[in-house]
Amino acid sequence: MNAHTKVHGAHGDFAVEAKGLVKRFKSGRGFVEVLKGVDFDARHGDLTMVMGPSGSGKSTLIAALSGLLRPEKGQVDALDVDNLWKLSPGRIDKFRLDHCGFIFQGFNLFPALTALQQVETVLKYQGLSKDRARKRATLALEEVGLGPRLHQKPSSLSGGEKQRVAIARALAKDPKILFADEPTSALDGENGQVVIRLLRRAASDHGAAVICVTHDPRLEAWADRVIHIEDGVIVSDERRVPDPNAVLASHH
Amino acid sequence: MSLALATLLYEWRRYMAAVMALALSGLLVLAMTGVFIGIGKGFTAQIERSSADIIIMQPGAKTLFGGPSGVPRRFIPQVYNHPAVDEVQPFDMAGGTFQSVRDVDPTMSQAERAKMGAPKQNFVMTQIIDTNEGAVTIPTDYSEELVDALRQPYTVAIDETTLPKLGVKLGDKALYNGQTVTVAAVLSGYPSMMQPAIVMSRDTLRRVGQADTGPRVGPLMVKLADGSQPEIVSAQINAMGKGQWKAWTRDELAQANANAMFEEGILVIIIGGCVVLGVIIGVAITWQTLRGAIMANIKEFASLRALGVSMGSLRRIVLELSFWVGCVGVVAAITLTWLIGLLASANAVIIALPPILLIIVGGGLIAIAMLSGLLSLGILRKSQPADLLR
Ligand SMILES: Nc1ncnc2c1ncn2[C@@H]1O[C@H](COP(=O)(O)OP(=O)(O)O)[C@@H](O)[C@H]1O
Ligand SMILES: [Mg+2]
Repeated sequence: MNAHTKVHGAHGDFAVEAKGLVKRFKSGRGFVEVLKGVDFDARHGDLTMVMGPSGSGKSTLIAALSGLLRPEKGQVDALDVDNLWKLSPGRIDKFRLDHCGFIFQGFNLFPALTALQQVETVLKYQGLSKDRARKRATLALEEVGLGPRLHQKPSSLSGGEKQRVAIARALAKDPKILFADEPTSALDGENGQVVIRLLRRAASDHGAAVICVTHDPRLEAWADRVIHIEDGVIVSDERRVPDPNAVLASHH
Repeated sequence: MSLALATLLYEWRRYMAAVMALALSGLLVLAMTGVFIGIGKGFTAQIERSSADIIIMQPGAKTLFGGPSGVPRRFIPQVYNHPAVDEVQPFDMAGGTFQSVRDVDPTMSQAERAKMGAPKQNFVMTQIIDTNEGAVTIPTDYSEELVDALRQPYTVAIDETTLPKLGVKLGDKALYNGQTVTVAAVLSGYPSMMQPAIVMSRDTLRRVGQADTGPRVGPLMVKLADGSQPEIVSAQINAMGKGQWKAWTRDELAQANANAMFEEGILVIIIGGCVVLGVIIGVAITWQTLRGAIMANIKEFASLRALGVSMGSLRRIVLELSFWVGCVGVVAAITLTWLIGLLASANAVIIALPPILLIIVGGGLIAIAMLSGLLSLGILRKSQPADLLR
């Protein structure tokens, strides 16, 4: 058990803590350093917003935090795991299966599956029985307001509805950590608002550590904490009081 | 429903290429093998469809037509010594010229005569039945009327598909070795192989002077009083013969006849070639189709990887998908071959599809699909969840 981060943390306990993350990519003959020794943490129950201009390393940061992209240097403690990157690739997969949800800019839904089946599929890999997977999936879809659309395939869902299916797929696992990378940038204002509110709820009601990457400053209103990153360096880190009823006005 | 099956059903158009490739590979092998088996069966139909439980041939005979099969006539009474034996008849065959005749009206003009066409002359193979009721030499699917018709002297029966070739129809007169015979019955399901075949009674054969009358006769066809255990009686008859003959059950002989086909070098080469070609076509197209299908869903696979679904699980999805593609391919192959078989039989070519052949080819097609699946697993490496983070 590690001293800081916890699986079943109360609101405010650390869920993820990273130290000295360095990530380089090959570029021509040399390397570009995309993360330059980043220290980062995120707490249970917080909607932590990571903001910064395009190319500043936001996506690379959450890839390193979630075990998707191995950093050259640094350590990630997540939940009960000391140094995630010491685990074997299989154990890292298992860690994500047990604890992590992901929401991407794209929806990445299988065209052949209904909304319900999209969510069930992941739950079955978690080892849930058919019945329990179905119940959990139905609940998760109802929670994102898709109760009436359980049996629709992606081709008959709108963009906002697809993103809500993707959110339900991530939330049905009841993840302790939820990573979201530009979850609203493919959506109009109205749908974007629905999505950010769902992320807010995942943090407040389910106690997940929600780490949301975005370059849209209007989403700040819902955040407990806003971290600005520029050129691979964290330049500011502020706590704020979220406004769950904020309005994401116009199309962006 | 599983992800693999749902994907196959939903995106069936994408998989059509693979299914058609498998179906064609299967068709190639099934139709080729089926035609050869069909030809072989055509040659031996007269015995394999008879009511003979046991066939007795020379000890050295390997098949009905392979090697010396006839036996001395004196074996007939010896075989009757076995108490279970009901009837023994020698199998007899002959051959000759068969010529259609035209009743030419002497008042016809030259042009009208030309329109009728010249009389046709063919060499035919002549098969024999005995016309006593329930005779061992009568194929079991011959009707009573057919046997009645052949009971009249100087009558012949001809398969419907052979009639045009011989230029006759039911009721026509024709010359067999120069003697007048009547086409008294039409068979169906006995298409001629290399040579047109006609059927006549042993009595008619005798009247046209072609029956075996000497000390040697063809293989003996033996009917048992109780045909339920031919293996036992066959073994006993073999023991009785002390090596001067060999008794076969009908099934054993049919099997040997069929197997003999595949000892023909050229058949093995033709069918082997079809198999190799089928495997290459099947694997190449199915592999590329599966690769394309995986690539089309690579982001969805990557999102499952992000959510912690292991690479092994994704591989299982691909293999399951391959399996289902294979199954659909098998169904398509069998359906296609069956349709071609219908077409062929309308043209007097029998494509025989014994279940064992269907099982082997079906298994082969599924193996081809699974192999293609294994080959396309590499492409899954492109499902990098980090690529979804941009
Ligand atoms: N796989 C990669 N190979 C090379 N360069 C990369 C790769 N992924 C990201 N980069 C570079 O790293 C920088 C940061 O990328 P990213 O983390 O996606 O930024 P952000 O999400 O903040 O827009 C960019 O300049 C990008 O071009
Ligand atoms: Mg990004």
